[in-house]
Amino acid sequence: MKAAPFAYVRPSSLSDAIAELASTGGGGKVIAGGQSLVPVLAMRLARPETLVDINAVAELDRFGTADGYLEIGATVRQRRVERDPVSATVPLLGMALPWVGHRELRSRGTVCGSLAHADPAAELPAVACCLNAELTVTGTGGARRVPAREFFSGAMTTALGPEDILTAVRFPVAGKGEGFGFAEIARRHGDFALAGVVARVRVRGTETDAQLTGFGVSDRPVTRSAAGELAAALRESGGEVSRLPGALSDPLTALAEELVDTDGDAHASRDYRRRLFRTLASRELSKAYERARRSAGEVDS
Amino acid sequence: MTEVLAENGKPRAVKAAADDLVEVRMTVNGTPAVLSLPARVTLADALRDHLGLTGTHVGCEHGVCGMCTVLVDGEAARACLLFAVQLDGADIVTVEGLGRPDDLHPLQEAFGRNHALQCGFCTPGFLMSSYDLLSNQPEVTEEELPAELSGVICRCTGYRNILTAVRETKSAHPGGIPAPGNCAHRALVGRATGQAGVSTDGREVTEETGDTRRIDIVLPDGDPTIAVDVGTEIGVPVDAVWRVFDDVSLLARCLPGAELTEDLGEDQYAGRARVSVGPIKLAFKGVAHVVEHDRAGQRLRVLAQGQDTGGAQTQADIVLRTEATATGTVMRAEAKVYLTGRIAQFGRALAGDVSRRMFEQFADALRETATSGQAPTGPVAAPSALKLLFAPLFDRIRTALRRKSR
Ligand SMILES: Cc1cc2nc3c(=O)[nH]c(=O)nc-3n(C[C@H](O)[C@H](O)[C@H](O)COP(=O)(O)OP(=O)(O)OC[C@H]3O[C@@H](n4cnc5c(N)ncnc54)[C@H](O)[C@@H]3O)c2cc1C
Ligand code: FES
Ligand code: FES
Repeated sequence: MKAAPFAYVRPSSLSDAIAELASTGGGGKVIAGGQSLVPVLAMRLARPETLVDINAVAELDRFGTADGYLEIGATVRQRRVERDPVSATVPLLGMALPWVGHRELRSRGTVCGSLAHADPAAELPAVACCLNAELTVTGTGGARRVPAREFFSGAMTTALGPEDILTAVRFPVAGKGEGFGFAEIARRHGDFALAGVVARVRVRGTETDAQLTGFGVSDRPVTRSAAGELAAALRESGGEVSRLPGALSDPLTALAEELVDTDGDAHASRDYRRRLFRTLASRELSKAYERARRSAGEVDS
Repeated sequence: MTEVLAENGKPRAVKAAADDLVEVRMTVNGTPAVLSLPARVTLADALRDHLGLTGTHVGCEHGVCGMCTVLVDGEAARACLLFAVQLDGADIVTVEGLGRPDDLHPLQEAFGRNHALQCGFCTPGFLMSSYDLLSNQPEVTEEELPAELSGVICRCTGYRNILTAVRETKSAHPGGIPAPGNCAHRALVGRATGQAGVSTDGREVTEETGDTRRIDIVLPDGDPTIAVDVGTEIGVPVDAVWRVFDDVSLLARCLPGAELTEDLGEDQYAGRARVSVGPIKLAFKGVAHVVEHDRAGQRLRVLAQGQDTGGAQTQADIVLRTEATATGTVMRAEAKVYLTGRIAQFGRALAGDVSRRMFEQFADALRETATSGQAPTGPVAAPSALKLLFAPLFDRIRTALRRKSR
């Protein structure tokens, strides 16, 4: 369980980091927190020739709000985000982060590293997709913005090329009339989820928008609008909050069937995951709707 | 070659080929340490093999079990998921830094009291993880404890006692738990298998190489591994004893296993010392500095520092005092001995017995030399394995028997 030898570069500027990565001709790998990469190296599932450690690059340490976004640079650790009051501007981060591994891993693991790693059962990629966060990808050709929903292309596969660095991610700050829900079921706290959901509901006057993202249920986070299902359930329940989850169950059955396409494994069959997803989605959509209405009401009054 | 490119608030820039050694400077339990390592060495291995800190355990080596949990810049982290070279400038605290053997940290106390350990393999991980929890998230509730402590696995206790220990510590310290109690400047050295690290804080003259250069011997802070205060009656007059003290080469030959190799000037001497105790065989090379030679006040103070090829390190502060009596001289030795590496794992009690026995051998040789005015022929034999190991045991057995027969 020891990594094979590798060359190690720790540049102090982004341009150097990009140049170093490019000079490896595809044999290099970025290391941020190492919480996903080191196990892979230890088990020798990968043997990169060079590791480019981005932790000395000061410009990747940005963390704060600007232009309606919370921006998180590539070296910002998950635990810092979890504990900084500014993260309250994106409530889903606070709801999801405690589920990412354990404290001892979040102290080193980065938000961007989790996105770049793109485990299909990981929490942060799902949050990014639900909010359609913007990822900044920088390579030899310069920087480009990629919406989260286009970033993930399969299990541990993303829009990042071998010479790209994910330099930052921007999450939209929650506005008035928005409410969120997050839940997952894992066998033990800190394990990857058997199934999980992220919900975002926006209430504006009579208009209601709802986005639902599932994780651990496909080869990547999967996001659909659930506005129609929510509207149907609201009609069915007569707007009564306690009846909303029950009323959502039926409309969400088809959605669960569509979104949950992972094969079953030793821990859970596909059907079980579908039921799990439907149940979690019904609850979290209801909560998100309730929170959105409250938030909209607070602003109105 | 490792190229160290720049320095800012962040770790220094580095570019190293796969077979290069990379320099990393970190603070470990309060002691600054400089290591030269291949990039692929994890922090866990660096601590264990290169710094001799085997309290950090290694289980799965891929982040799942939590055995290797240490504090990095005040927060718990998996030492098996970090390459040591990534930690340039970092502040590391391991379980060795948490409390002292004679003054345990409240968490350690609580673990002991509540039987929160059986085999003890997970204990360092649990202690460091729960220290992190209680120090950084003091608002944690009792209900949250199981989930918050789920990052470390225990195969023995069933967790109940561990949870109780952490809960008790939390409620006993509502204002926050005390900081780690055993972080101080001390020597850090690795095991024979690893390349030794060097601890430095700029207080030492770092250009020291081998035994031909004079160095400033800086003793570690904190308690010595062994403190000896022994006295013995030598049947020769004080003057005769001091004639030996005055001649350092003569004095050195009275020291069991010691050999003077060079006079470095300014009261510094290079030398070698061999100690073999049971299976342990150490050959130290080092320097001694006579910092006080006060014949009128009857006090001789020597600082010594030595390193063995396997990386065990010893430092000592020895004060010899004499006092004339009707029948000759009483010689007292007060020694503070700091040990790291293999020999330190030996246990304080036995190490203390061994050093007392060495003092007796020294006193015998001194008596002989003072009487004859001649150095013992050849250096006094290195403390022999069997004699040294068993003499303390026989002493103890004898004492025990005496007690019984009373
Ligand atoms: C026991 C255990 C349990 C875990 N449980 C969970 C869990 O429940 N949920 C979860 O989401 N994760 C979990 N993880 C994984 C891990 O905690 C995160 O995925 C991790 O934090 C990733 O971030 P990092 O900074 O450590 O990335 P690294 O390990 O440094 O990198 C991961 C990958 O992303 C690439 N990369 C990283 N940063 C960049 C960048 N800026 N640009 C380009 N590429 C980059 C690396 O090359 C590598 O391929 C667990 C890990 C362990 C060991
Ligand atoms: S040895 Fe590090 S977590 Fe298991
Ligand atoms: S006490 Fe044995 S593993 Fe925990």
